[in-house]
Amino acid sequence: MFLDLHGINHWYGTQQALKDVGLQLERGRIGMLGPNGAGKTTLLKILLGLVRPTSGSGQVLGRSLHGDGTELRRALGYMPEADSLVPGLRGVEYVALAGELYGMPRKHALRRAHEVLTYLDLGEARYRQVEEYSSGMKQRLKLAQALIPDPPALLLDEPTSGLDPAGREGMLDLLLRLATEHGKTILLSTHLLGDVAKVCEAVLILHHGQVLCHGPVAALCRRRHDRYRLHLQGDPESFLEDLRLEGVQVLHDNGKGDVRVAVPQGWTTRAFFVLADHHRVTVRGLHADDEDLEELFHRVIDEFAAPGEMIRRTPSRERP
Amino acid sequence: MTSSLLHYRAWHGPWRKPLWSVWPIARVALGMLLRRKLFWALYGFALLLFLMFFFGSFLLDWAETQLAAAPIQIGRLKTDPQRTVSFLRRGIRVLNGSQDTFAYFFSYQGAMVLIVLAFAGAVLVGNDFTFRSVGFYLAKPIQPRHWIMGKCLAVAAVVHLLTTLPALVLFAQHGMSDFDYVLDVDYFTANNLGRGPAGWQLALGIVGYGMALAVVLSIMLVTAASWLRRTMPLLLLWVSLFLFMRVLASILVDGLQYDGRWRLLDLWNTLGLVGHACLGFQHRNIGNPPQPEFWEAAVTLSGVCVACLILLKMRTRDVPIVR
Repeated sequence: MFLDLHGINHWYGTQQALKDVGLQLERGRIGMLGPNGAGKTTLLKILLGLVRPTSGSGQVLGRSLHGDGTELRRALGYMPEADSLVPGLRGVEYVALAGELYGMPRKHALRRAHEVLTYLDLGEARYRQVEEYSSGMKQRLKLAQALIPDPPALLLDEPTSGLDPAGREGMLDLLLRLATEHGKTILLSTHLLGDVAKVCEAVLILHHGQVLCHGPVAALCRRRHDRYRLHLQGDPESFLEDLRLEGVQVLHDNGKGDVRVAVPQGWTTRAFFVLADHHRVTVRGLHADDEDLEELFHRVIDEFAAPGEMIRRTPSRERP
Repeated sequence: MTSSLLHYRAWHGPWRKPLWSVWPIARVALGMLLRRKLFWALYGFALLLFLMFFFGSFLLDWAETQLAAAPIQIGRLKTDPQRTVSFLRRGIRVLNGSQDTFAYFFSYQGAMVLIVLAFAGAVLVGNDFTFRSVGFYLAKPIQPRHWIMGKCLAVAAVVHLLTTLPALVLFAQHGMSDFDYVLDVDYFTANNLGRGPAGWQLALGIVGYGMALAVVLSIMLVTAASWLRRTMPLLLLWVSLFLFMRVLASILVDGLQYDGRWRLLDLWNTLGLVGHACLGFQHRNIGNPPQPEFWEAAVTLSGVCVACLILLKMRTRDVPIVR
């Protein structure tokens, strides 16, 4: 088991950051979501053994939260959001230093640093000083220093922060590969729902220090039998007009042939093809429009929030 | 072979205890400093004083030989060469390898150490806070005390490079010119050349003086640089601590005739007192009386170190490792 937490509470003075957090999460790819102030940072600190919870108990990969923290941090590779580089060091020296801090002998740390940097496509840049790295390279360097001890689990804080779309895709592919090919457990803390949707199979939603829900994304998202996504080819105007006359509600039309609809009771999917044939439109795709991660997140938060309450910042699908 | 390296490989090697991380932290900090040209310029300048002590001793030897070959005659008065040499040696204890030599050396060299440390503080410690590198260190399986120890070790190495190491070279130089110097603890008192021990006791005293300087200055510098970060504020604090407080202590004790304990405000003098104790000085032989007792100086420095360590603990506790 990755996380086994029972009744974790944490206070900063009179401010309660975590309220009775209880979690049992198996190893895998887990996304941690929540608005600002939800308690994500505090939970990460507790998991890393940097602060002890005010009350409650728990284990991370079988290691107690109430130890001195070094055992926890040895089992977890942490990739911070902030740069936290050591200026003046070359890439390979920086990663090897991380290895030595984890407790590797220097020679082994240096050899492993070369391997990890090559794996992360930084082989060519490993002798450059870290302050000369681009944003994408810095992110990969931070991942490299988390990977050097070959930890069973990685804690990633906004790993795609500051990356362009191509860099972001590359980073997410890399994380997916680490999880699927090398069995790494990933806890991804981010504001970007798209990142979680792409990489994670389970999600943990925090709000006001409480765990609102956790579990596999597929199990948490509601299945909806009255909504469909259509991908159309041809001029869909008259087709959509006809659908409306039949009582179908067009929820979204992107103008490029992708349409989301809500159908009335008793509707059969065969009717789409009959109408499409009538209007000389080809239905190239037809999928049940189940709740996605973004909708799940907003539903869970809305269900929790008291009437009139303002949520300071909700995660977004894309970077603003 | 290359393709096999491109694959991610598991690691099953041995793990060392967190205490082992102290050396890499110190090594990296020292590496940063040694890459700076300014450090080497200041180090070269500091070594000038060492060279003066080093070659001054040869000058003394040369003067002795000259006196033995051709006695000095002033008018009708002829001097005894042996007595003249003995007089000369007593007169310039600064160069004869006695405890006075090393007390003067540490005192003069210390001024240079203070300047170097004021410049080095930002590189050794301040940058870790400016560039958030301290979060990188503390997110690893080590405790804040290991980071503090690593940084202190780096500063201590700089202090030793500037003081203890050259002082030991001077000791070896004197030992090579007369081997009794290394073997006989009573060398100076027997020859009436000095007031304290020679031999291994003096060597230990030199190491002790260097250690006292290194421990106190490293803890103070790491604390100051972790709060102030930049060179200029650090320099101002350093000047205030070691110059302004010296002037203040002098005014209080010498000018206003306050108790000698007020000299404890002058941290450089306090450090010097502990150093003199290490070198085997008698309290009555310390210059610039009245001076506090040795133990009072040691207690003051211990208090300063404890206060600094408390401040450092607060500083490292507040580091935002996870933002």
